[in-house]
Amino acid sequence: MGKSIGTYYLNRFFKNLLIAVVLISSFVQANFPNKPIKIVVYTGPGGLIDITARKFASVADKYVDATFVVENKPGAGGIVALKKVLQAPEDGYNLYACTKSNIAKFIQVGGRDYVDALHWTAMLMADPECVLTNVKNDIYKWNDIVNNARQYPGKQNWVGPATGGLDHVTAMKIWDEYGMSAKWIPYKSGGRAIAALLGGQGVAYVGNPRDALGKPDLFIAAVSSDERLAAFPNAPTFAELGVTALNKEYMWRGFALKAGTPPDVIEWYTDLFQQVTADPDWKEFWEKGGIDVEFIGGDEFADIVKQDVETFEYYLTKSEIVSTSGKNGLSKYGEGTPLILLTIGLIIVMVLCGYFIYKSTFATTLGRIMVIEFFLIMSIIFYLQSFIFPVSSEVGPAVVPRLWIFTLVPLCILLLINTLRNKEGIEKAGTRIDIVLTFIGFLVIYLLMMHYIGYFLSTFIFLITGMIYLGYKNKKVMITTATIWIMFSYFIFFKILFVPLPIGKWFEMLF
Amino acid sequence: MELLANLGNGLAYVIGVVPILTIILGVTMGIIAGAMPGLSPSMGVALLVPFTYAMSPTLALILLVAIYIAANYGGSITAVTINAPGTPSSVVTSFDGYPLTKRGKPGVALGVSLVASTIGGILGTLILIFFSGPLAKLALKFHPAEYFALAIFGLTTVASLGGKNWMKAFIAAIFGLLINTVGIDPISGVSRFTFGQSFLYDGFALIPALIGLFALSEIFKQLEGGQFDSQTVDSGKQKWPTILEYWKLKLTILRSSAIGTIIGIFPGAGATIAAFISYDVTKKLSKTPDEFGKGSVEGVAAAEGANSSSVGGALIPLLTLGIPGSASTAVLIGALMIHDLTPGPQLFISNPDIIYGLLASLLLANVILLGLGFFGSRLWIKVTIIPKRILFPIIFAVSVIGSFAVRNSFFDVIACLGFGVFGWILKRYNYPVAPIVLGMVLGNIAETNFIRAVMMGGWSVFFTRPGSFIMLLVALVSFAVPLIQARKENFKTK
Repeated sequence: MGKSIGTYYLNRFFKNLLIAVVLISSFVQANFPNKPIKIVVYTGPGGLIDITARKFASVADKYVDATFVVENKPGAGGIVALKKVLQAPEDGYNLYACTKSNIAKFIQVGGRDYVDALHWTAMLMADPECVLTNVKNDIYKWNDIVNNARQYPGKQNWVGPATGGLDHVTAMKIWDEYGMSAKWIPYKSGGRAIAALLGGQGVAYVGNPRDALGKPDLFIAAVSSDERLAAFPNAPTFAELGVTALNKEYMWRGFALKAGTPPDVIEWYTDLFQQVTADPDWKEFWEKGGIDVEFIGGDEFADIVKQDVETFEYYLTKSEIVSTSGKNGLSKYGEGTPLILLTIGLIIVMVLCGYFIYKSTFATTLGRIMVIEFFLIMSIIFYLQSFIFPVSSEVGPAVVPRLWIFTLVPLCILLLINTLRNKEGIEKAGTRIDIVLTFIGFLVIYLLMMHYIGYFLSTFIFLITGMIYLGYKNKKVMITTATIWIMFSYFIFFKILFVPLPIGKWFEMLF
Repeated sequence: MELLANLGNGLAYVIGVVPILTIILGVTMGIIAGAMPGLSPSMGVALLVPFTYAMSPTLALILLVAIYIAANYGGSITAVTINAPGTPSSVVTSFDGYPLTKRGKPGVALGVSLVASTIGGILGTLILIFFSGPLAKLALKFHPAEYFALAIFGLTTVASLGGKNWMKAFIAAIFGLLINTVGIDPISGVSRFTFGQSFLYDGFALIPALIGLFALSEIFKQLEGGQFDSQTVDSGKQKWPTILEYWKLKLTILRSSAIGTIIGIFPGAGATIAAFISYDVTKKLSKTPDEFGKGSVEGVAAAEGANSSSVGGALIPLLTLGIPGSASTAVLIGALMIHDLTPGPQLFISNPDIIYGLLASLLLANVILLGLGFFGSRLWIKVTIIPKRILFPIIFAVSVIGSFAVRNSFFDVIACLGFGVFGWILKRYNYPVAPIVLGMVLGNIAETNFIRAVMMGGWSVFFTRPGSFIMLLVALVSFAVPLIQARKENFKTK
């Protein structure tokens, strides 16, 4: 009886709480923004999208009373930044600075789900794709390149950034339209690829007209645009060079929000994007590089994204970047349940070996052998994994890891033999392993605590506990040191560098 | 002569109150960013990018470059005092710097690293000023096959690093190469060894691995020894190197500066590989090679001279071609672009004031670094007198925040702890941990260039291109010589 009354009140309490939360959140939205807005950039500082974000923040400052903070979350071609945005609530405080390249990456890694997880809010500029060549090379005019490629199919080296990225897909599209074929040699960044072009190691580079600025050796052989660009009047368009279908290949940059963001917040942003787009400073900054500054939002942008998704899916499947072909019999041990069973099996073997060594005359070499065994087991697991990689070219993704494995395994075996021979060698006696293990335990608890009570409190507790455990006595010094560290990390890392240290689940619930 | 006149103008501009204050600010921030594991020069630079909007482009660049230079030095401070290299390139500094501290001579290590750093920095800048044209051409002619050969050459330094334990050193290096392949394959875009986990898509970040393998494993080792009472250093009576001691290192510093600048020009290879190769060469030419790894001042000088002079080298492709060589120089390009300047050869003609102001400020920044470092060394040597009972928990806290800050990722913190435990176990069984870092640094360069080279020229390309063939040959010799020496010595002792 009492129980049900309790449940009743509990239910009522939660109902009221829910209403309060809804009320508060609608109030918060009415006053959007009431805290700093993070612009999440998926590259490190210095890239074009980073500059876009920073320039946007400074221009937007003129029009709205909001604080913008640029946060760089580089990694995995935008996936890391995407996860960051998706983990946050859909309240509009995390603006994802996106480019067309993200679509390519999303399709490669997570398929359409990733694309649908975002509301593609605004496309702010379109940067036409172009083919750059080196005037010092034997051939650098577009027609010569096409003729040469048709004469020697698949022999030309085209350089550019990542495989399966926008520039690569654009190149494949160009090759299709001109009925030619060539090799795509990917570099870590567009800049490195340009260096290779300047060094004469490639015939062509696919990028944007801006890349040619300030580099007299580079020549814009063809640009994807309806008419010649005002900033580059000497660069011919693909239409002039015989193919009219290549007039809309461009890199776009813009912003996205988490899907489900309230419409009034999106409206707030839409107004802002329109104002920024009309800003003369903003316009001039980009148009100089041949970039078309135009705000496209709503359904129109959604359509563009949809088309891009289809294009990428088509070409990435065609070039076998997104596929599972090339697997062989061993590959089933490289993933799923067989892999888990195999790993468990290997660990059991390792433990058994350890046990037998411990019982045998080799007991003194136990640790040394276990380390070698660890390397060998890692090699086996990596080797089996390498069979699930698709084989798309003669030097596929499995080649180099296997090269390392094939060097590592013989060395380990050699060392194993050596160790067994010199079994009389005395093992270094670890005197106080207990202290180390306790400390590792502390660290693990500390990291777990951080999740709940946040960085600052857990660090304070950890520092004091650690010092006491190591036998430090002076309480004043301990507390002062820990406090100074907390202050330092708060101001330098949290406030100035905007490192998003965890606040802790429990505290997040409070605020 | 025009060059000298331009440089004169640049110097005249830089020697003013505002530029000098800017450099002092930059150098101070850089030292902190370098010394603090997890803070990188590119973060420091990026932090300032919004502020540099309001500045004149020359001042902005001067500030950014000062940070960049000082950060390269700053990494050595923690490498020497607590065996926690703040930057990958200062790993090599810790080989001899930390043993010197353990022997109670942190002053010697800090002094030598400062002087070698600044002289290396100045020499690198001079090479940049006078030979940037031809060196840029050389950098462009470098084929992927040659990059691969260079990476292999860098790897063979492991043979002499490992000494008697060369086999373990190689296992560690190759293991570093292998874990570097975790993540999305840079060439094909396929995800490898990620087991479907998105936090593994970008593989293991270098800095958390570095912090774990060096700082944490060292603490675990000392905890295991149960030795946290010993107070080895008395900072009051600390000895600093004399002028004569510095003079003895002149050849080492000159040589390592040349190596550093030249290897620095190759985008991506940079400071770390330069430091390893310079250390290796110095050890081979040294009269006292046995001292290396136990506290040789030559070793410290070789590492610091090379990594600081590589800054000059890294700026060559940036200024002459407009191509960034490293993450930090990429930020410089961004800063130029935000100021509506287009990096590249034309900048020399269109804005010589900016270029030569920048070059002059490089020289001045090194001088200021020497001054600030001189007084600073007296301050940070005090780290070595902090009781270990307090220091150890603090280092753990630094490691946690440092590895988190790299990518704002909690996975990196866990990886750092994992590497710490792993490094401690390896150290117990006499595996050197530095080769793992080298493997992780070189893995990407070696792999991507290997594949590019094969795609461009087939499997035989490494032997048909004279450049790569010669480098591979040199690598073979540098690999074999220490092993043969070790064998001989083994033979003698038997």
